[in-house]
Amino acid sequence: MRPNILVSVALLVAVVVFGYFLSPDLGSFGITLMSGLFQGMLLFLVASGLSIIFGLMDVLNFAQGAYFMVGAYVSYSVHHSPDVMAAIPDPNIRFFLSVISAVAVGAVLGGLLERFLLRPLYARPIFQIVLTFGVAIVMTEAVEFIWSTTPYSWTVLFSLRDQSFQLFGQSFGVYRLVVIGIGFALIILIGLLLQRTRIGIIIRAGVEDREMVEALGINVRMVFTLVFTIGCAVASFGGAIAAPFLGASAGLANLFLLSAIAVVVLGGMGSYAGTAMGSLLLGLALAVMQVFAGKPQIGLPVLASMTPMMLMILVLLVRPGGLFGKGR
Amino acid sequence: MAASEAILEVRDIHTFIGQFHILEGVNVNLPRGSIGVLLGRNGAGKTTTLRTIMGITPPRSGEIRFEGQRLNGMRSFGVARLGIGYVPEHRAIFKGLTVRENLHIAERRSGDFARKADLIFDLFPDLKRLVHLPGGNLSGGQQQMLAIARALVPDNRLLLIDEPSEGLAPVIIEQLMHAIRRLSEQTTVLLVEQNFRMASQLADRYTIIDEGRSAVAGDMRDLVKDQALIQRYLGVA
Amino acid sequence: MLRRTLASNWFYVVLMIALIILPHAIGWVSGDSPFGVRGRPVGQSIYWQGILIEVFVLAVLAMSYNLVFGFTGVISFGHALFFGIGGYILGVVLEYTDLTGEVGLLIGIGLTLIISAVLGLVIGMVTLRLRGVYFAMFTLAVAEMFYIFFSRLALTRAEDGFALTELPVWIDPTRSRLTFYYIALALLAATFLFIRRLIFSPTGAVLLAVRENEERARTIGFDTLRFKLLAITLAGMIASLAGLVQVILNKKVGPEVLNVSNTIDPLLMTIIGGAGTFTGPVIGAAGLHLGDRLLRDLVIEVGGASIDIGANWALILGIVFILVVLVFPYGIVGTFRRWRTKQAK
Repeated sequence: MRPNILVSVALLVAVVVFGYFLSPDLGSFGITLMSGLFQGMLLFLVASGLSIIFGLMDVLNFAQGAYFMVGAYVSYSVHHSPDVMAAIPDPNIRFFLSVISAVAVGAVLGGLLERFLLRPLYARPIFQIVLTFGVAIVMTEAVEFIWSTTPYSWTVLFSLRDQSFQLFGQSFGVYRLVVIGIGFALIILIGLLLQRTRIGIIIRAGVEDREMVEALGINVRMVFTLVFTIGCAVASFGGAIAAPFLGASAGLANLFLLSAIAVVVLGGMGSYAGTAMGSLLLGLALAVMQVFAGKPQIGLPVLASMTPMMLMILVLLVRPGGLFGKGR
Repeated sequence: MAASEAILEVRDIHTFIGQFHILEGVNVNLPRGSIGVLLGRNGAGKTTTLRTIMGITPPRSGEIRFEGQRLNGMRSFGVARLGIGYVPEHRAIFKGLTVRENLHIAERRSGDFARKADLIFDLFPDLKRLVHLPGGNLSGGQQQMLAIARALVPDNRLLLIDEPSEGLAPVIIEQLMHAIRRLSEQTTVLLVEQNFRMASQLADRYTIIDEGRSAVAGDMRDLVKDQALIQRYLGVA
Repeated sequence: MLRRTLASNWFYVVLMIALIILPHAIGWVSGDSPFGVRGRPVGQSIYWQGILIEVFVLAVLAMSYNLVFGFTGVISFGHALFFGIGGYILGVVLEYTDLTGEVGLLIGIGLTLIISAVLGLVIGMVTLRLRGVYFAMFTLAVAEMFYIFFSRLALTRAEDGFALTELPVWIDPTRSRLTFYYIALALLAATFLFIRRLIFSPTGAVLLAVRENEERARTIGFDTLRFKLLAITLAGMIASLAGLVQVILNKKVGPEVLNVSNTIDPLLMTIIGGAGTFTGPVIGAAGLHLGDRLLRDLVIEVGGASIDIGANWALILGIVFILVVLVFPYGIVGTFRRWRTKQAK
């Protein structure tokens, strides 16, 4: 095995073992694991776009978290709208529609951002970064304008979300398992897309050398728009499927942006495998830290919310290229 | 030379990179079916000339025509699609892609690679057993072969090859020269080459670029005899 | 010599004199004393002094941001950290140690400068060797971490923050508002002169070279990392001074001083005013802050729908910001200067 995979697996095992020793029984260990995987999958949905877009286009999209937030709001609104409720009384079917709407909105907003705001700025990369930061501000403010500043929590019950089963004396939510399953499926699906399809080959080649890809007769900018659109749609999808648990609030944008940035730094900028591994690691680390910091002997719940930043600082100090990065 | 016979005409191009005036009037005229070479000292502007033709560093003034069509203002993917293959210096292959993927990505129409596979593996037999390896695992000579092979996948009528011999062993250079000579039977080639021995054996036409300007151009056979000219612009005997 | 300096900078001299007179002028026009009424901070003059102090604070903050972004070409998304850390240091010194009055104030300011310089150095050394975007990400993360930390820290009363009660009388903005106004104005002038001096010095020339093309500056033989570190450190120290003035004005320290809005504000002000110009950040700060104050209660009717300008000020600013980045990347001052050179030709 290559050393970076060895190190990643060792870290993963260390986090899980630490979590095991923190848990009083198997049931609560299971809960911690599931919570970690759940968070990890949501992180992956934001971080994968962030990483691939950065690798291909050299744009770090500081608005990636805002797309997650918009996804959550759209999904919430469609599911709770009285009109849609009247049209589709079945909450499970309505949830599918909510998710699809969120993905569509994310894709459209993402495509527009790349095509009309970023494209004029490829000659001025420093302004691209500043611009995505500005777009994040505008999206957050626009969300507060449309939906007010009060956070929403999901109130409509539906069986998909609320079913659970008993194991080791704890009750596990089916929905979280479904999200974890979807997350793993997407990791594999996007991986296959990158490995096997022509567009995937072009994306991987573009991460190495955009100029050469273009000199082969490929319109790289069209690929940029496509990748950006998909990346934002996936982040929006993440927000949509997270909303039944996390609700919808403006704070999601910053929270997920920072965690996703930590994932990308941990995994290595532009590395797909690194992003997948980084998401799992950070997700599990977050869940374990939430347990650890909440222990009465420690009593510092603030530690958990600082985990992504501390991890990122640590990685930059020890190995700036990240687990799967090529040095610098 | 009548203009109608030229596949590539570059007329008085000026190119800036940032605020630096790199090309200050370069002319190149290349007849169809020939092998042309750009000669000149390091930093004279040979590579920039190729990049300007490809549309990577667009010219600020002057004119570039390929088969009579103006290339000015076209982005490089458009230039490539007209039938120009580019083999940049330092063997810019995709190191993370396998040899097969490196060749596949160059397809302009699906099936290009399948049609050209025999020709490519005939020219570069080494590549055939390496198709599943990542490009980064190849030796320098193999990478150079892959870079040229990649430009052969679509039906290109002009190949721009930048410093193919750079840093390679003499045996490999022989092999490359053989390949370039063979492929020039079907396409026109414009080389940039520091290795004067290689250039003089391969090329029919030469253009010397000196400090961003094309200084002298003509028939390679005449240049070989003109030691004074070689000494003056190239500093080699 | 002096005369020539005055002549070529007449605009700044006049502006400075106007700002010195302004509190008295407002006092004279409105009939409210610039010193307040019976020692209490009320009246038109006092009110406007407060607003102008806020403008000065934001202008100093924006100028420090401009030193990094506009003159050195490094993007920081964590300027709030430097802005906010000063207030906490001063607050902790005054409230949690036996040091009070002038001694406490001086030690607080000294510690603030030292700690913000150290922070700038450490953050810079970790990330500035890497590509520019790492610095942006890292500063964003570190600032957010400090924000979360201080909003939960029991010692600094978490979300609530704490009041500064042990300030010396002469600087206390409720008792000596006018003195404090002049202190803030002096900080503004000093920062402006310092940055101009720095940029026109040989060091400044290297900073500009780094902004234009770092690779080339390095090839010429400059240790660009050291110059970038210098810019970050100085900018961090200046920003922390701005933060100090802000918390003294509010007489309160809370996590809001570390909020990301204190990164966003100087960024917007610098770019809208004109990045890489001397007056741009000041004009940006004055324009945006006065605009915010004046338009706070404005409601516009557009086609039957009423839009509350004040409530959506941040949204409007964000949109303006995007437009400026796309259409006027040189900001107000830069665009004006280009327009004037074109006219002159």
